[in-house]
Amino acid sequence: MYGRRASQLLKELSTSEPGQLTSFNTDVFDQVLKECNAHHLELQSLMRKIQEEELDVQTTRNAEHFGAVIHHLSLMRNKRCLMAYMYNRAEIIQSLRWKLGPVLPQEIQEKLNFSEEEYFKNYSAALESYASELELDLTVDMVPPKDPYIKVRVLDDIGDVLLSDQSPNLARHSIHFLKRTDAEQFISQGLMEELLG
Amino acid sequence: MSRYFDIDDIIMEDEHSAVFFKVGANGVGLLDPSAETNRVEQGSRVELPFWLANELYLRQAVSVNVPPCFNLKTRREIQADAACVDLRSRCPYFYELGCKVAPLIGDRTIGSFLLYAFMNRFKDILSKAHSAAFAVAPRFLPLLTKEEMQLYEAACSSMTGFKKWRVGGSRFEKASILGKKKRSSE
Repeated sequence: MYGRRASQLLKELSTSEPGQLTSFNTDVFDQVLKECNAHHLELQSLMRKIQEEELDVQTTRNAEHFGAVIHHLSLMRNKRCLMAYMYNRAEIIQSLRWKLGPVLPQEIQEKLNFSEEEYFKNYSAALESYASELELDLTVDMVPPKDPYIKVRVLDDIGDVLLSDQSPNLARHSIHFLKRTDAEQFISQGLMEELLG
Repeated sequence: MSRYFDIDDIIMEDEHSAVFFKVGANGVGLLDPSAETNRVEQGSRVELPFWLANELYLRQAVSVNVPPCFNLKTRREIQADAACVDLRSRCPYFYELGCKVAPLIGDRTIGSFLLYAFMNRFKDILSKAHSAAFAVAPRFLPLLTKEEMQLYEAACSSMTGFKKWRVGGSRFEKASILGKKKRSSE
C-alpha cells in the first residue's frame, strides 16, 4: 500500500518515549525517498499519456487523470511523513541544547545523522551569540531559585574547576556549597546531585 | 496546516476504510489486490487509508463506507457499558477519526455517538487516574484510545506534581535523557 513505509517511520517516533531520541532510521528514510521517485515517474508517464491523446491536462477527468491524482497524493503524503519525521526530531535536538549544553554525550551524538549534527551546532551557535548579546546565560535558572546558593554532592571526579566566585576541587563524593547557576549545568549532566534539608 | 507536522494526526490518517470507486484509475494496480491489470476498475471496492480516501472523495472519485470501528456492534457495546469497551484494538484514534470521517459518510448519528462515548468514558478515566495506586499499571489501560491515554497520563502527572509540591523536594533534576543510559551501563 502506498505510504505505508513512511508512516512506519512516524510510528517508530510515536512509540519511543517523549523527549528521547532514537537513532536516525536511514534505511527506511531512503526507501521512502525511493518510493517518492517512483511515484514521480509514474505521475509523469500518466501525464504524458494524457498529452499523447491530445486532451487538455487541466480539464480531463479520465482514468489516467485519477491514476495521476493518486500518485500525486501518495507523493505528498510521503513528503509530509518525511518532513514530520525531521521536524519532530529537530524539536528534540533543540531541547537537548537547553538540557545538556553545547556538547552532546557520545551515545546521543551517535544517534544523529549528519545534517542533524550540523543543525545542533548551528542552533547552539545561534543561542550562544544571542546569549552573549544579552550578556545572560539563558539556559540556567530554568526553575526560579529560592536561594542563590545550594548544597551539592559530587557524583563523579570533575577535578579543579573555575566557577564564578570560587575554584573548588570537585572530587567524587565531596560536598560543596555552590552558586546555583554554577551547579545547575553539573546537575543536569548528572555529575552532581542536590542535597536537601 | 497547523497540524502538518503532528505525528498523531498523520498516523490517524493511516486508518483504513472501504471505498467504492466511481471512476477507473490507471497505473495504480497496487491499491486493488484483485486487479489483474495495473488499474483499478470503476465500481470496485478497495480498502484505502483515510488520507487517500478523503482527497479522492473531495474529487468525487470514490464514496466512503463507514469504518468498521463505528459499526452497530460497537455502538451497542458502548451503550451497554462505555467504560469497558476496548476501543484501542478497534481504532486507537477513535474520536479523531470519527470527527474526520463523519462529513464524508453523511451519517449524522456519529457525532452524538462519539460525544456519548467520550463523556461516559472520560468520567471513569479521570476518577481512576486520580485515585489509582501509581506503582501498578491499571488493568483498564489497554482499553483506552491514544487520546484517552494522554488524558490519563496528564491526570496522573498533575497528581504526582501536586504530591511532590506538598512534600517539597529537589527542584533540580538530571536531564531525563541521560537517566536511562547511566543505569544500564553500571
